Amino acid sequence: MAFLLAFYLVPVGLLLLQSVEGGSLAAYDKALTDGLYVGVLLDTMLIAAYVSIVCLLLGYPVAYFLAAAPAPWPTVGIIFVLLPFWTSILVRTYGWMILLGRNGIINRLLLESGLISAPFPLLNNMTGVLIGMVHVLLPYMVFPIYAVMRRVDTGLVSAAEGLGAPGWQIFRRVYFPLTLPGVLAGVTLVYILSIGFFITPALLGGGKVIMIAVLIEMQVRQFLNWSFAAALSAVLLAATLLVYLVLRRLFRSDLQWS
Amino acid sequence: MNAPPPGNSIHTTPTGGEGDLTLVGIVRRFGLVTALAGIDLAVRKGEMLTILGPSGSGKTTLLKVVAGFETPDEGDVLLGTRAITFATPAKRDIGMVFQNYALFPHMTVAQNIAFPLEMRKVAKAEAAKRVDDVLNLVDLGGLGDRLPRQLSGGQQQRAALARAIVFGPRLLLLDEPFGALDRKLREQMQLEVRRLQQHLGLTALFVTHDQEEALILSDRIAVMDRGRIVQLGTPQEIYRHPVNRFVAGFIGESNLFQARVASGGYAVLDGGARFRLPASAPPEGTEVGLLLRPERPRRLANGAAAENSFAGSVVEVVYLGETVKYRIRLDPGFEIIVRWPFQSSGGSPGKNERVTVGWNGDDLHLVQWS
Repeated sequence: MAFLLAFYLVPVGLLLLQSVEGGSLAAYDKALTDGLYVGVLLDTMLIAAYVSIVCLLLGYPVAYFLAAAPAPWPTVGIIFVLLPFWTSILVRTYGWMILLGRNGIINRLLLESGLISAPFPLLNNMTGVLIGMVHVLLPYMVFPIYAVMRRVDTGLVSAAEGLGAPGWQIFRRVYFPLTLPGVLAGVTLVYILSIGFFITPALLGGGKVIMIAVLIEMQVRQFLNWSFAAALSAVLLAATLLVYLVLRRLFRSDLQWS
Repeated sequence: MNAPPPGNSIHTTPTGGEGDLTLVGIVRRFGLVTALAGIDLAVRKGEMLTILGPSGSGKTTLLKVVAGFETPDEGDVLLGTRAITFATPAKRDIGMVFQNYALFPHMTVAQNIAFPLEMRKVAKAEAAKRVDDVLNLVDLGGLGDRLPRQLSGGQQQRAALARAIVFGPRLLLLDEPFGALDRKLREQMQLEVRRLQQHLGLTALFVTHDQEEALILSDRIAVMDRGRIVQLGTPQEIYRHPVNRFVAGFIGESNLFQARVASGGYAVLDGGARFRLPASAPPEGTEVGLLLRPERPRRLANGAAAENSFAGSVVEVVYLGETVKYRIRLDPGFEIIVRWPFQSSGGSPGKNERVTVGWNGDDLHLVQWS
């Protein structure tokens, strides 16, 4: 508690104080009414939504594989999921720059094999940012889902089958609803982490994809506008909490059994 | 699913006339282990047949073969006249109550019960009516909106039963459904299930390791041992006339003696004691098992006689309410268990008391020893 107080609540309090510097709400006024900044906030939330959806689509089957495959595949799979997780985010991001650039490995392979005549724009745009962020955040989706899948009673799947349910109905009516707590945890985690993401959009976005964390950094380092940066941070914090509450609310009726 | 083994197509075409569920020569091997070594069984229409056996006897594998979660290596499963050996569980028309009920935790009781109807595309209004009816039938009227975890163990059991019968299955499978209940509730549920099964005329296959439960619930019992059905009969037949040592030891409490048939209608035990045999004794020299149920021996007062009588002393006394169980060490050097009614006015012997115990040849039942 003391730790939380000293290193989290106090700085957040100071930040909030700074955002209303001189007793004026001008910084908030600017952050919430200026189309430019509101646009960045909405973009950020949209990107976070894309990242969450892609992570869910990729992560759910991976989690299922980890939970259901016979030994030793789950262990092998977990190592493969964890390995990038343990690598520095900077290293991974630069790795993607090498792969995705105009002269990157992917484009050169495609060009030389004659499949395309001009390089795909994969870097310094939304595509690059999405690829990089999904890669970094995928484990945050896989592990919560995996943890829940491990606890799903396989007897329920047998029961559904015995009661006459075909395969996809078993998934739709029984298995997926039972893993929903994990899905929700994964989506919440990935979405919230995405909203505040900095390094990957900064490097792979090439200054064209501005997410709110990048904007905050600009305000501090380039414009030395601490008060506005603080206000943006407060807005980000509020948006994060809001998303969390909305997601919880949205799925409350589906989760009341758990 | 495995392809049918070669030669299966020319397998004797089973008639399927005698039972609602017919098993013909079912064999299932796991590697070197033979879990089912040729099971033939016909469950008659409207009958509750119990598969009784210890763990590892193959009863669970048999249940899975019937339900469709296992495919036999040889043999056929028939529901009525329809072969379902290779049908998926979903296509079998069998209602199953699982060991831990397997109620879907995220659905209400009513949704759980409606599930098999929904999968069979029963119209919503019709389904709702049938769910209501079956809820009342199992005494869960008004609890349809609850989640399974909001029900007691007995109520969950009823909900699981309701879900298994609501779609009018051809066969009801019960997989040790009472194991999770405490004793009193278990007895109550056993009787309720039995009543319901008879009321609806359901054909039911019930799997358990609990012999007491089997005796209470069944029309017939099939006792399994090491992948085979060793005896099939009514509870009374199984209890009174077990075919071998395994069945005798498994069903009810028993005193079992290994003996060799001697001349003059006697048998000699290992320790040298002699027993008078029942009239239908096998030829001299045969190794037999002798079964003596604990309620058969009498306590002999002075001067009273029996064909077999031995003196001994009480080693252990266990009060079971109406009856008392005694372990008595008889003087020739063997122990027996007996059960006698409790007598209040000092009529029941205490520990270390000397008693004389007797029984007739006809009280003994001959069983195969090996």
